[in-house]
This record gives sequence, structure tokens and C-alpha cells, in this order.
Amino acid sequence: MLPLSLLKTAQNHPMLVELKNGETYNGNLVSCDNWMNINLKDVICTSRDGDKFWRMPECYIRGSTIKYLRLPDEVIDLVKEEVVARGRGRGENRGRGGPPRGRGGPGRGFGGRGRGGGGPGGGRGGPGRGGMKKKEGFK
Amino acid sequence: MSNTLESYVNHLVSVITVDGRNIVGTLKGFDQAVNLIMDECHERVYSSHRGVEQVILGLYVVRGDNVALIGEVDEDLDTRLDLENIRAEPLNECKT
Repeated sequence: MLPLSLLKTAQNHPMLVELKNGETYNGNLVSCDNWMNINLKDVICTSRDGDKFWRMPECYIRGSTIKYLRLPDEVIDLVKEEVVARGRGRGENRGRGGPPRGRGGPGRGFGGRGRGGGGPGGGRGGPGRGGMKKKEGFK
Repeated sequence: MSNTLESYVNHLVSVITVDGRNIVGTLKGFDQAVNLIMDECHERVYSSHRGVEQVILGLYVVRGDNVALIGEVDEDLDTRLDLENIRAEPLNECKT
């Protein structure tokens, strides 16, 4: 399981983020990206020594400043459910997609046309196709 | 032979962070940046005059920048450790 996908699954869950400078941010994860930059809402920020507190409706944290994130235990179970749901969805499509793939059915684009009778430039090497065409004057 | 952490996934691992902390937990996932997912983890705080203190942490995502070392732990051996009677100097942080 990838850490960033766990984070994506944890959207809308509360979490604690500790930064490299020791500050901690408690809030709900709104979004995250591939650099671990995160957007939290309803945030409580605590200073390194635990003596100062700030409250803010939202904040944006650059991923590179993060030391670690503490997530609620149930998030890891949510990832397992997502993987199962995704696998099931893809399996259904695979069954249905069998025949059209072999036949190059309607709406399948160049695959179907190439096999059938070859539209212009289909698979038969129509005029100007089939191999590299040398451009004139391009020495 | 592949040199990834793949073989450690779902096993108990001991991580030493750059600030000298020791986190023990189940490695659930990792990526190329060595960001880690540690489940059911706890921090072991060593002391030269008291036994080892275990601070329960839970589910953590540790950013790869902060990881210095990851080692696989023999669970059998680990359960046989008498943490109360272990005395050790705490580690220093990494100097960059």
C-alpha cells in the first residue's frame, strides 16, 4: 500500500500532523497531492513547547515540512475496502469487454476499421502509409 | 535480487528516525521516497537509569526525509525482551 494512497483515503478524517519544526496541526484532511502537500480544515495549531495554541478555519501545509502524520486507526481498514471495491468493478468490465475486443466492434476506433476492410490507411498500407514516408526536400 | 522494503511489508520493523527516536510497528506500505506506513506502532524510549518506556502511537505515516534506518524485528525475540531491565543511552539526532 502506498503512503500517498493511504492519505488520499484519509480525506475528511481527522489527523495530527507534526512538522519538522515541532509544531503540531490537528484538523480534518481536505485534500493532498503527490508531494504530500495537504489542506486541513478546522485546525488547531500547537507550538513546539505545547504552550501556544492557534485556531484557524483552514490551513495549507507544504509536504516537505512534514515530519509525520498520525491517522485514526480505522483509515487503514477503509483502504482495504477501496481496493476490494475497485478490483470488483474492474473485473465486471473485463468480462463484458471480451467479444468487442476480438471483433473490433463499432465505436472501437482504428482497431475495428483496420481488421474489417481497411478504411483509408487502415492496415493495408493505403496511399501514403505503410512504413516511413520520406519527405521531399528534407535533406 | 531486489533491494526494496517489499520483504518487510506486514512484518514488524524497527525504524530509527533522524532525531534519534526508535519506532517499532508493522510496516504496511512504503514508496520510493521511503515514506512509510506504520501500523500499531509505538515509540521505545531508552534511558540509562530507567527501563524502556513504550509510548503507543497507532497508525502513522512517516515521511521518508526523517527515516535513518529500518530493520526487521524477530517478533519471537522481541516478545522475550525484558524491557523493564534494559538500560541504554538514548540516541542522538543525525548531524547533517
